[in-house]
Amino acid sequence: MAQTQNSGNKLRELAAQGQWDAALEYLRSLDATPAASAFLELPFEKQQALFQRLPAEFAGTLLSHMPYFHAYVVLHSRPLGKMLEIINAMHPQERERFLEELPEEAWQALQEELEQARAQAGVEIAGPGAMPGIAPEALPPATAVPIFEARNIEKIYRQPDGHEIQVIAPLNLTIEPDAVIAMLGPSGSGKSTLLRILCGLSQPTSGEVLWHGRPVAECHPNVAIVFQSFALFPWLTVLDNVEAPLLAHGLAHFERHRRALRALDSVGLKGYESAYPKELSGGMRQRVGFARALAVEPEILFMDEPFSALDVLTAENLRGELLELWLAKKIPTRTIFIVTHNIEEAVLLADRIIVLGRNPARIRADFRVPLRHPRDRKDAAFLVYVDYIYKVMTQPEIELAPPSATEARPRAKPVMLPHARPAGIAGLLEVLVDRGGNEDLYHVAEDLLLEVDDLLPLVEAATLLGFAMAREGDVEVTSKGRAFAEADIPTRRALFREASLAHVPLLQQMKAALEKKSDRSMPLEFYRDLLDEHFPEEEANQQIETALGWGRYADIFTYDSETDTIRLESPLVPTESQNPEAHH
Amino acid sequence: MARDGRSGSGVLTWSRFPSAAPSLLRELPILFGALAVFYALLALSHQWAASVGAQEQINLSPSALPRYAMLSILRIAIAYFLSLLFTLVYGYVAAYNARAEKFLVPLLDTLQSIPVLSFLPGVMVSMVALFPTRQIGIELGSILLIFTGQVWNMTFSFYSSLKNIPREMREVAQIYHWSWWQRFTQMELPYAVIGLVWNSMMSVAGGWFFLMACEMFTLGDRDLRLPGLGSYLQTAANEGNMRAIGYGLAVMIGVIVLTDQLVWRPVITWAEKFKFEQVEAADVPDSPVLHFLRHSKILPLVARVTVRPLRESLALRFARQNVAARENPAPNGGARHWLMRLLLLGIFLGVAYAFFRMIGLLSGLKPAELREIFVGAGATFLRVAFTLFLAGLWTIPFGVVVGLNPKLSRIVQPIAQVAASVPATALFPVILLILIRVGGGLGVGSIVLLLLGTQWYILFNVIAGAIAIPTDLKEVCDIFRFDRLERWRELFLPAIFPYLITGFVTASGGAWNASIVAEYFRFRGHTYTTTGLGAVISAATDSGNFRVLLGATILMAIMVVTINRLLWRHLYGVASTRFRLES
Repeated sequence: MAQTQNSGNKLRELAAQGQWDAALEYLRSLDATPAASAFLELPFEKQQALFQRLPAEFAGTLLSHMPYFHAYVVLHSRPLGKMLEIINAMHPQERERFLEELPEEAWQALQEELEQARAQAGVEIAGPGAMPGIAPEALPPATAVPIFEARNIEKIYRQPDGHEIQVIAPLNLTIEPDAVIAMLGPSGSGKSTLLRILCGLSQPTSGEVLWHGRPVAECHPNVAIVFQSFALFPWLTVLDNVEAPLLAHGLAHFERHRRALRALDSVGLKGYESAYPKELSGGMRQRVGFARALAVEPEILFMDEPFSALDVLTAENLRGELLELWLAKKIPTRTIFIVTHNIEEAVLLADRIIVLGRNPARIRADFRVPLRHPRDRKDAAFLVYVDYIYKVMTQPEIELAPPSATEARPRAKPVMLPHARPAGIAGLLEVLVDRGGNEDLYHVAEDLLLEVDDLLPLVEAATLLGFAMAREGDVEVTSKGRAFAEADIPTRRALFREASLAHVPLLQQMKAALEKKSDRSMPLEFYRDLLDEHFPEEEANQQIETALGWGRYADIFTYDSETDTIRLESPLVPTESQNPEAHH
Repeated sequence: MARDGRSGSGVLTWSRFPSAAPSLLRELPILFGALAVFYALLALSHQWAASVGAQEQINLSPSALPRYAMLSILRIAIAYFLSLLFTLVYGYVAAYNARAEKFLVPLLDTLQSIPVLSFLPGVMVSMVALFPTRQIGIELGSILLIFTGQVWNMTFSFYSSLKNIPREMREVAQIYHWSWWQRFTQMELPYAVIGLVWNSMMSVAGGWFFLMACEMFTLGDRDLRLPGLGSYLQTAANEGNMRAIGYGLAVMIGVIVLTDQLVWRPVITWAEKFKFEQVEAADVPDSPVLHFLRHSKILPLVARVTVRPLRESLALRFARQNVAARENPAPNGGARHWLMRLLLLGIFLGVAYAFFRMIGLLSGLKPAELREIFVGAGATFLRVAFTLFLAGLWTIPFGVVVGLNPKLSRIVQPIAQVAASVPATALFPVILLILIRVGGGLGVGSIVLLLLGTQWYILFNVIAGAIAIPTDLKEVCDIFRFDRLERWRELFLPAIFPYLITGFVTASGGAWNASIVAEYFRFRGHTYTTTGLGAVISAATDSGNFRVLLGATILMAIMVVTINRLLWRHLYGVASTRFRLES
C-alpha cells in the first residue's frame, strides 16, 4: 500500500515536470498492477499525455489493469489505428475480459471503430480530416488554433481579515473552435468563476487569459453569455432586451431591428417582440436569453447553467433545439462553452468535457466524447461516459500538492463536511438498504430524480460517517449504515453521535473544547473564525451550518441562536452516549 | 385642476360627434396643465426679482389663496428637482468610487439623522446675506431648507439600489460593452425607480412640513416672510381669523390630495413596470389619470418628434464613442487626474477651515450657556420619549384593532392618511390658538404639537403589521383558546414588532425635528416658550447668538445620531431576525 502511494507520488512528480521519458521508464520498472494504479492517480490530462507516449504493447498491459470504463476513455485518446494496435497487444485473456465487461452498445461502437481502423490499415497517424465524425486525437488538439487560452490562471480571494483562500488552483485550459465544450463540477467548485475569468468579466489573481494570442483584458472579444437566471431586464420588452447589446455596438435602429427579429425568429419567439419578460414562461424567457446572445453573433457562446432554472421537460426541449441550431449550422456561432452540474446534459451536448474538482477548483479530467449526434441516453456508450464522470466525481480527490509536503504540513486543512442533513443521509441509506445495499449511483440519481449536486453530498456524508462506501460509481451500505437505516429515531441519533464523533474532527474538537470549559459553552463565532481561515466566507458559513445540524442531531450540543453559543448537551448525564435510550 | 372633471363629463356628452372635437376636448386638460405650469414659472420669476423693500403683506382673502398655493407648490417642486439631481450625482459617485464611498456613505447616514430645522436659522441668515436686496435670498433659503429635508432618504435609496443591482445584470452590461449612458438609462435608473418614487413621496410630504416652518419667521429684528400657504396660515392664526384658517387648511388638504391623485398615483402605477419580479403581480395599482394620459393622442405625437429621436441619437452617440474608445484607447487623462486631486484638496482645506472656526466659536461658550444647552437637551429628550410613549399608548391598541378588522381598516385608513398628510407645522398656529384660549402653556402644548407630528407614522405601521398577521396563526390562537392577554403577548405584539420599530424610528426623528418649532413660538407679538433644546436653538436664532445656536445644533445632531445607532439600530436588528414572519 505504502509502496503504491510512493510510486504514485513519484510518477506525479515526473509528469508535473514534463519528464515524460523518465516517467515512462519509471512506469515500466513497476509491476503491472502498481503501475496501473500509479497511472490512475495522475490528473487526467497527464494520463492522456503519458498514454499517448506509451508503446502499444505496454499500453495494452496497463489497460488490462484498469476498470473497463477508464480503459475505454483512455483508449480513445489515441488515433483509431493505434487503438487497434493496443487492443491487439493486450493479453488475449485480459482483452476478452475487457470486451466482456463493456456494455453491449459500447462494445458495438468499439467494434465499428476498430473495423474502420482495420479498413484504413497502414494509415498509422491519421490527420484530423481523415476520419469524419470521430475526433481522432484527444488532447491537445494540435491542429486547431485556440480561441481562448488560459495560462496558469489562479484565483485567490482575500478575506477582510487578511486570510487568503485559493478558489482556483493554477490551471491551464484552451478553448478550440468548432466544438461544444462542457465544464462539469459539483456546486461550489468555482465553475462560474472560471467561466467569468475566461470571458474577461473577472480577473485572475495570477496567470493570464489570451484571446487569439492577445491578453483578453486588452481586446474586447465578441462573446455572449446565457445566464442561469436569464438576466433579462424586466422593464424592457423582449425586442428591446435583444436589441440592447446591438445598441451598445452602435448599430442604428433599422439594423438593430433586423438582427433582433432574426435572432428571435431563430429561437421561435416571433410574435412576442412587444411582450415583457414577466409575461413569459421560464422556458420562453430563456429563449429570449438565447436570442439576445445569438443576436451579437458571438465567436463563443458561453452558457452558465442555462437549463438549471427550468423544469425537466422545458430544459430537455430547449437543449434539443439549441443542439439542432448548432448542428444544422443555423447560427453563425460555432463554439459553445457550457458550464453545468448535470452529467447527462454534458454528455448529451458536448464534444469535450472538462471535470472540475473543488476547493480549490482544478481540472480532474478533460476528455473528448466522440459520440455521434443525436445521442441517445439509453445508448451503452453514452452510459459509459456518464458512469465514468460519476466515478471521477465520487472518487476522493487526489492530492496535487508535492508529496514531500504531505508528510508534515503545519496547518492541515480541516476535513470538509458535505452539505447534507442527517435526515437526508438517513433517507438515502433507507433507499439503498431497500435495494439490497449496493447500487449504481447513476441509477440512484435517476430513480430519486436527484441531480448529482443534491445526491453527491449525501453520498459523501454517508461515506464520511462510515455508513457507506463509494467505489467506482457504485455505493454500498456498510453494516453500520444498515443498522442506522433500520433503527428507530433515538437509536439513530445515538448511532449518528457515535459515527460523527469517530469520523468528524470538527465535532470532536467542539465536544472536547466544550468539556474543558467550566461553563460548558462556547461562542459559535470562534469556530466560524477558525473555518474562515480555510474556506471562503460563504463556504465557512455552510460548514458551520452543517456542523451545527449534525451536532444537534447527534445530541453533542445545543445551540442558542440569541447568544450564538453552543452548549454541551446535558452535562449532568455523562453516560448518555453509552445508554442513549435511557435518555429519551 | 378642477377643469378635469368638467372636460371629462364633456367627453361623455359630446362623444356622439365623430369629428375631431371630442378628441381635442379629451386633450384639453393636458394643454391646460402645460399652460398653467408655464404661467406659474413666469409668476415666480417675477416674484423673485422683486426687491425686499416691498414687504410682502399676506392677503387673507380667499381669492389670494390659489396664488399662494401655487407659489408654495413651486417651491417644493424646485427643491424636489434639486434633490433629484443631487441624488443622482451623489449616489452614483458613492456607488462607483470605492474610495469616495468610504466617507460618503457614513456622511450620508449622519446627515440623514440630523434634524433639518436646526439648520433653518443658519441657512436663512447666509442666504439673506448673499442677496440683501432681493426677495430671491429668502426664496433660495427656503428652497435650500426644503432640499435638505428631502434629499437624504432619496440619495440613500438610489445608492442602495445601485449597490443591489443583481450581479448577472451587471455582467450583461459588461460583456456587451454598454456605454455608461446605456447602463444608466436601461439598467441603473430603471432598477432604482421604485425606491426613488416611494422616497420621493415621503420627501415631498416632508417638504410641506419644512415649507410651513420657513415661509415666515423672524430673524433677530427682521421679519421675513414669503407669500405662500404657510405664511397665510400663520398670519390667519396671528389675527385669530378662524374663517381664513379654515380656508387655508382646506386648500392645503386639497392640494395634498390632488398631488396624490394627479402625480403620485399615476407615477406609482407607471413604476409598476420597473418592479424586479419575474411573475406578474395579481393586484396592480390603478390610476385613471395615467390611463387617461396613456390614451392621449397628443402625448405620443409629441414624444415621437422630441423624446424618441433624442433618446436614439444620445444612445447611439455614447455607444459609438464607447466603441471608438475601445478600438484606440486614449492615454490616461493625467490632467484630469490632477484636477480631481486639486478639487479634493480644496474641499478638504475648506472643511478643515470650517472645522477650526467652529471649534473657535464653540470654545467661547459660557458655563451658563453650556448648562442651558445640556438642561434643554435633557428636557427635550424626556419630552420626545414621553411623546413616543403617549403615541404608542393609543396607536398600538387602536392600530391592531383596525388592522384585524378589514371593514374598519377600509374606513380608517384613508381618513388617517389624509390626517397624516397635513403637515404638523401647518397646524401649530391653530393648535396654539386653541391652547391659549383653553389656557394651557407651551409645556403641555409642545407635547400635543409633537404628538401631532409623529403619531401617524406609528399608527400606519401598526395597522400594516396587524394586517400582515397570517390567518393560520390567528386560527392557532382560536384553537388553543388563548385569552386576550395571551393573544397580545404571544401573537400581536411579536407580530407587529418589526413594523412598530420602523414607525418609532421615523417618529423619533420627526419628534426631534419638530421640537425646534414646538418649544418656542412667537404669536401675536408674544413669545411662548418652554425648557428644551429646540427652544434654546430658536431663542439663540432670535437673539443672534451664534455660539449657542451652533453648540445646541451640534448637540442635537449628536444625540439623534447616538440614539439611532445605539437604540434603534439594535432593535431593528432584533426585529429583522427574531420577529420576522417568514412567508
